[in-house]
Amino acid sequence: MIPTINFFNSKENKAFLEQLKEQFGITKLPGRVTKIGKEKIFLFAGNLEEDKIMKMQKLIPIERIGIYLAKEFEREYRLSIEGTQILKDQITKNVIELNEEQKETWMMGHELLMKTDKKGFVIIKYKEDMLGTGKASEEKIANFIPKSRRLKDKTIEK
Amino acid sequence: MKQRRIPDPKPLFVERMNKLITEEKDREAYWEISKTEPQNSIRCNTIKISPEELIAKLEARGWKISQPWKNYPEVMIIESELKPGELGRSIEHLLGYYYVQELSSMLPIVALAPKENELFLDLCAAPGSKTTQAAAKMKNTGTIIANEVSLGRLSILAINLERCGALNTILSRKDGRSLCKNFKELGIEFDKILVDAPCSGEGTIRSSPQTYIIWNPRTIRAMSILQETLFVNSFEALKVGGEIIYSTCTHAPEENEEVIDRFLKKLGNRIEVMDFELPVRTRPGITSWENKEYDKRVVKAKRVYPQDNDTEGFFVSKFRKVKP
Repeated sequence: MIPTINFFNSKENKAFLEQLKEQFGITKLPGRVTKIGKEKIFLFAGNLEEDKIMKMQKLIPIERIGIYLAKEFEREYRLSIEGTQILKDQITKNVIELNEEQKETWMMGHELLMKTDKKGFVIIKYKEDMLGTGKASEEKIANFIPKSRRLKDKTIEK
Repeated sequence: MKQRRIPDPKPLFVERMNKLITEEKDREAYWEISKTEPQNSIRCNTIKISPEELIAKLEARGWKISQPWKNYPEVMIIESELKPGELGRSIEHLLGYYYVQELSSMLPIVALAPKENELFLDLCAAPGSKTTQAAAKMKNTGTIIANEVSLGRLSILAINLERCGALNTILSRKDGRSLCKNFKELGIEFDKILVDAPCSGEGTIRSSPQTYIIWNPRTIRAMSILQETLFVNSFEALKVGGEIIYSTCTHAPEENEEVIDRFLKKLGNRIEVMDFELPVRTRPGITSWENKEYDKRVVKAKRVYPQDNDTEGFFVSKFRKVKP
C-alpha cells in the first residue's frame, strides 16, 4: 500500500522539536518533517512546494519523501543513523562515546553491556562518527542498528 | 588485473562486437579485458564526508587509494587487493561515507552536471548510484524525483538514498512511460532529466559475466522500443532550455544511436544535440549499422569501451530542449 504523505503543521513541528530538545538538545531542523505511517518520521530538505507535492501524490504513487529521521515511541523519539549524522552538530545531551572495541560490537548489532548514568534513548558516538541511537537501561544499551547496516560478526562461524 | 572463468559469449554477440570494434589489436584488447574483473571504484559521498577525510579513514585500514579524475576528487580507486565483498562491508560504507560505483556509471551525472536548487528527474533510478551522485552534486538542495517502477528495486533504492543521506529526494513508483504525462498535468517541469534506460547490459560483462548467458537479440529489439518511449515521454517534462541525458550500459547500436536517430526524427526542431566533455577516453557515436544510416548528429554521443579506460562499457548522449 502506498503511504500518505502529510507534512507536520506548525503545532506538530513545535511539539516534535521541543521533544528533540528535551532528549538531545536539538533546536532546529534543516528541512520539512513528514510522518509516513503511524510512527516513522522523515526529513525533506528539497525545495519543491508543499502544494505541488500534495497534488503530485494524487497522481503519482510517492513511496518516500526525504530520509528516515526518527521513530516515535509514545512521545519519545529514536533517531536513525542518518538522523544522528544530520543533527550531529546540535546533539548535546544523552550522548554515549564508545571506544574502538565497543564500536565494533555496536556496529555488529549487539547490545552493549555497560553501566551509564542514563536511561532511555541515547546517541551513540565513536570519535567524530555518529552511530545511531540506543536505549540505555541500568546495565546495558539496546541496539537498533538495522541488519543491512551491520558489520559482519567475526565471532560467528559460517 | 584479476582473470576468472567466465561463460563463453554467444557467437552472434562475438560477431556483433567484432563488427563494432574493427581494428584487430583493439578487438583483442576488448576481449582480453572482458575476462577480467573491473577495478574497485568508489565515490566519496560528499554529503557526509570530504574526500580528504574519507581517504584518511580508508588509508588507516591499510587501503591504497588513488583519485583517477583530476577534477573529481570524490572518485576513488582502491588499489589494494580486497577480499570478496570487503568494499561493501566496511564501517565507512555502512555509515554512508562512500558508494560502491563503477567508474563508467558515474559518467552520465558528470555529463549532466546537476546544480544546486535545480529540479531533477531520475526516471529509472534504482539502485540509486546516479541519484545519490546527483544529490551530492546538488549539495542536498533543489529537488530530485527518483522514480523506479519495480517494487523490488525500489526498496534497494530507498536503502541507498537513506544510507547516503539524500535529503532532497522524493521517491516515486510509476512506469516511466506514463509518469511524465502526470508531471505535465501538474505543471511540473524539470531543469535536468536523466534517462539511464534499462538495456541489454552488454557493457557490464566484467562485473556480471552471466550477461553472456542471458544476452539475446530479442532483448535488444524489445529494449530499443521501450528506450525510445521513455525518452520521448520524459522530454515532454523538460523545461525549455532544460537538459536531458540518454545513457545505457550497452554497446548495441539499436539501443543507442538508433534510439537517438528515431527520437531526433520524432522531436524535430524542439531538440538540440549537445557537445560535452568526459574525464575518460571516449569514441563518437556511430552513424551506420547493419545497413541503416543514422542522423549524423549522433557522433556527438560518446561510446565508452572497457579497453580504453579499464572501466565497464557505457553510452552517454546529451540534449537540450529548445522549443516547447
